[in-house]
Amino acid sequence: MEQILDQMPIVITSLNIGFIQTLKLFFVTLIGAFPLGLIIAFGSMSRFKPLSYFTKLIVWIIRGTPLMIQLLIIYYFPGLVLHKPVWGGGEAGRFLAAAVSFVLNYSCYFSEIYRGGIQGVPVGQEEAGLVLGMTKNQIFFKVTLLQMIKRIVPPMSNEIITLVKDTSLARIIALQEIIWAGQAFMKGSHGISGAIWPLFFTAIYYLIFNGILTILLGHLEKKLDYFR
Amino acid sequence: MKKITAFILMMIMTVLLTACQDSGAGSDSGGSAQTDMEYIKDKGTLVVGVTEYAPMDYKDENGEWIGFDADMAKAFAKTLDVEVEFIEIDWDNKIMELEGKTIDCVWNGMTLTPEVTSAMDCSDAYCGNAQVVIVPSEDADKYPDADSLSGLTFAAEAGSAGEGVLQELELEYTSVKTQADALMEIAAGTSGAAVIDSSMADAMVGEGTSYADLTVACTLNSEEYGVGFRKGSDLVKALNDFFTESLADGTMKKCAETYEMQDMLLEK
Repeated sequence: MEQILDQMPIVITSLNIGFIQTLKLFFVTLIGAFPLGLIIAFGSMSRFKPLSYFTKLIVWIIRGTPLMIQLLIIYYFPGLVLHKPVWGGGEAGRFLAAAVSFVLNYSCYFSEIYRGGIQGVPVGQEEAGLVLGMTKNQIFFKVTLLQMIKRIVPPMSNEIITLVKDTSLARIIALQEIIWAGQAFMKGSHGISGAIWPLFFTAIYYLIFNGILTILLGHLEKKLDYFR
Repeated sequence: MKKITAFILMMIMTVLLTACQDSGAGSDSGGSAQTDMEYIKDKGTLVVGVTEYAPMDYKDENGEWIGFDADMAKAFAKTLDVEVEFIEIDWDNKIMELEGKTIDCVWNGMTLTPEVTSAMDCSDAYCGNAQVVIVPSEDADKYPDADSLSGLTFAAEAGSAGEGVLQELELEYTSVKTQADALMEIAAGTSGAAVIDSSMADAMVGEGTSYADLTVACTLNSEEYGVGFRKGSDLVKALNDFFTESLADGTMKKCAETYEMQDMLLEK
């Protein structure tokens, strides 16, 4: 126990650096996947059949394969097959490749949630808008979209919390997020070697962060309660 | 709605078109006949793929890479007149990293196993190491040599030299992700023993670690370390010449002494 207390400051510093990478990946994924998911949702709902089939094919491929494989393909494929290592070997390149994979993956999941939300708004709402003389665009942005947001908060919250934990998959392409930082102490890092506890300690970071998110998302859900 | 659809369709087409153009350009430049040496001098850096692994490659308190391999890599880069850059990789992906040119060599106490030498062009061995059996301290007396090991369930890193030895001896084992995981298996009681590198065992078990009650029971076969490059790389010869020179003038030995590894050095 005393030994753990001695190691604590060094471990915490290193885990903090890893957790910043985790957070960066988390926020970049959300910022990218929210709008891209909406675009994909429009694509799969399009009445223009080729576009809707094409989008559904992409969603099937992305949702049908493990994110870990997608990370490996997106990071290594350009260098291995096209002989053009577009991402570079450094930490920045690894982060960019991870961010692209995560945005792609999560926007496909988000798109299905959006689609469910949009199609769940009763037709009567649209008809009411038409009667009031609103244009199609006005109806979409001022009636449908707003009500969709209320409907999608619970399933979105689920995905967002899953995303926090999924960021750990990026260690497969050696992105040094918090799990990587924790594992480093098993082999030896910053003068500490053969220490197992830091790896398990990373769980506390996830737990606290997800706790905060749960509270925030709960608040958001309450605020949107006036749509009934 | 129609307008939005048309707009999206246009965007997708644009993205697809640019993507096609990009890949076309990529395959063109990929066919150039640049040697590895020219490639590295061109970009001015030798990118060394490592994992944090004392005493070969590890970070000091300031985050600088040190260790026997790291110091030798710095010296080698200096003779080539290029910068050296260390990049941490996932050890399982080392061949992909190398072939995909995200790193230029694997220099990390790498055992020259048949798997390694068939996938990379490797330098001459510069260092020797042994595989050791790790067991809980109270059981250590029961396993003095390789013949006493049957009946134990082992853990070893997938693709490691330790796994190779276990296969040769036809012992029952589970392959795990890293050597550190193998030790955790014993500590957690899910495996009876582990086979890891002796250099690693020195750093990771015994007093002052989380594995104070684990110990080395016996030594299995010995192995050799080398540096891995892309297939057909002309850097292999350059490095072999560098090793011969630094062995002759004593700089390699001095470097090894810094990390108390002089006994492991291979003198030829």
